[in-house]
Amino acid sequence: MQKKKGMKYVGDSRIPAENRKPNVPKDYTEYPGKTEPFWPNFLLKEWLVGAVFLIGFLILTVSAEPPLEKMADPTDSSYIPMPDWYFLFLYQLLKYSYASNEFIIFGTVIIPGLAFGALLLAPFLDRGPERRPLKRPLATGFMMLAIASITYLTWEAAANHDWEKAKAQGQIPEASIDTEDEGYKIAEANGCISCHGSDLAGNGSNPSLIGTGLTAEEIADIARNGNGNMPAGLFTGSEEELKIMAEYLANLKEEGK
Amino acid sequence: MSKKGVTRRQFLNYTLTGVGGFMASATLLPMLRFAADPLLQTKQESDFVVTDKKISEITSEPVRVDFAYEQTDGWYSSTVTNTAWVYKNEKGEIVALSPVCTHLGCMVDWNTNEKYPNKFYCPCHDGLYTKDGKNVEGTPPTRPLDVYTHKEVDGYLALGKVKPREEA
Amino acid sequence: MLNRIYNWVDERLDITPLWRDIADHEVPEHVNPAHHFSAFVYCFGGLTFFIVVIQILSGMFLAMYYVPDIENAWQSVYYLQYEVAYGKIIRSMHHWGASLAIVMMFLHMLRVFFQGAYKKPRELNWIVGVLIFFVMLGLGLTGYLLPWDMKALFATKVTLNIIESVPFIGEHLKVFIAGDSEIVGAQTITRFFAIHVFFLPAALLGLIALHFIMIRKQGISGPL
Repeated sequence: MQKKKGMKYVGDSRIPAENRKPNVPKDYTEYPGKTEPFWPNFLLKEWLVGAVFLIGFLILTVSAEPPLEKMADPTDSSYIPMPDWYFLFLYQLLKYSYASNEFIIFGTVIIPGLAFGALLLAPFLDRGPERRPLKRPLATGFMMLAIASITYLTWEAAANHDWEKAKAQGQIPEASIDTEDEGYKIAEANGCISCHGSDLAGNGSNPSLIGTGLTAEEIADIARNGNGNMPAGLFTGSEEELKIMAEYLANLKEEGK
Repeated sequence: MSKKGVTRRQFLNYTLTGVGGFMASATLLPMLRFAADPLLQTKQESDFVVTDKKISEITSEPVRVDFAYEQTDGWYSSTVTNTAWVYKNEKGEIVALSPVCTHLGCMVDWNTNEKYPNKFYCPCHDGLYTKDGKNVEGTPPTRPLDVYTHKEVDGYLALGKVKPREEA
Repeated sequence: MLNRIYNWVDERLDITPLWRDIADHEVPEHVNPAHHFSAFVYCFGGLTFFIVVIQILSGMFLAMYYVPDIENAWQSVYYLQYEVAYGKIIRSMHHWGASLAIVMMFLHMLRVFFQGAYKKPRELNWIVGVLIFFVMLGLGLTGYLLPWDMKALFATKVTLNIIESVPFIGEHLKVFIAGDSEIVGAQTITRFFAIHVFFLPAALLGLIALHFIMIRKQGISGPL
């Protein structure tokens, strides 16, 4: 724009009245087929790439349902947590003995801090004029090392995770439980829910109590005498209460089945 | 620059900085205090919860004691149940162990796995603890089970905060 | 008609130089995938921005149904996913978009790194880029808790335990982020919501603006 003194006032505005920039594209004809203007030539190519990407993305969004596990239940003690995949490598790092226990700050602060700090300050650590990856072996080497360790750690974490169990432990329970039912209250009072979950859908190695297919007598027997991992004598109520609870549990059916 | 000190322009710049600083701090300071409130709140030392376990009934065999207490989380309060493993050690002192496995937070159980009698056993990753809560070498946990502070109220056991074990 | 509207606005605001500058700046041959197929590596940054736009849009629409409250958060997510028309797709976009944004950003970063494009005079833009990377990781972390399902709660507990292990300030940091020293609950979800929806996106938009202004100012780095 013009300097103060060259400014011509149009009415009471400060917009220059003359020498306005004409709305014509810059001429790139001297670089035929090579350098080109951003708009519209290059942007069109970018948007074509974007459109192809979007098709893939939309197919992904329609075909892969976003996971939603059952509602958070802080009392469920057997849930094995799993972070989002891009934090897996940090999570896995903490499992190693040199990054856990008394060395925990190596795993949580020092190693990630050094790695991300180096990444942030990369231009000041790698100052030479050379740009080709092979001509700056240190920078390239460290980045390769970082990529390799991130890949390895993520792989290890994924391989060590029990995906079947993880899927089961987070499943949304099918039946809606009437927590006001007398049978449920007896189950609650006898600590059944601390293993089988407050939704009675089980967790971890503890089976679901919904739709077991067992009769009331069989359930009553298990409650008294245990079964598998479940020790005997957990049920401490009266015979009367046992009968009410067993019938309540035997009648729990999976919804819509 | 004149030796007389501040030029008119400098003076205006300083004043601008000052007024700007005032405007920024006067708006942001209350907000920062607002955001940091949980940090500065003095939490009342969590009260002891009286369980239904009589002190006289506690033997040298660990038993599971469940107790419920009211938990306040800001404006949200709910009843939460918690568990302790309680027994008397050789000296006759009461020990109340937290059942939370120090590995990944699963719940340990006493003497339930036939392979490991008289041990606290964690079903998640086969973590083991001896009766006094020490982690068995070579199993996943990295430190002993936490302990509850406890006292006696009218002959009943009352449990307080969970404290990590001092160097065992 | 459109032309006359444009001229009317231009006469008053002189808008031609503003956008002609963006439109006319030259794009050199070596970044143009039409000339060299290998130039597709230059697309990752633009695609990251595209996903960010999708994330912001889908997030705004998700907020029409979502409530950040431990009693209702999960219910609202369940409702918007299974009861609302296209709910699955919108949540899917936001969920998978988050992962893809990380992937694209990582690829973009590798391109810049291996080409040494961060060297003088572009050091500052690299730093801004890494800050964007951190902000995006923060968005991923805080967004993970919001559906309030099992994995959200327990993964966040692990994260907070990790934060707590930072020497000296760890415990205070944890309380500051979680809102309580022990409970991951009502106060945590509102805090994470505020961070995820207001604080970090504001920071992200500012940083992205800086990133673009610097690219425009310095131009793209030359061919190797």
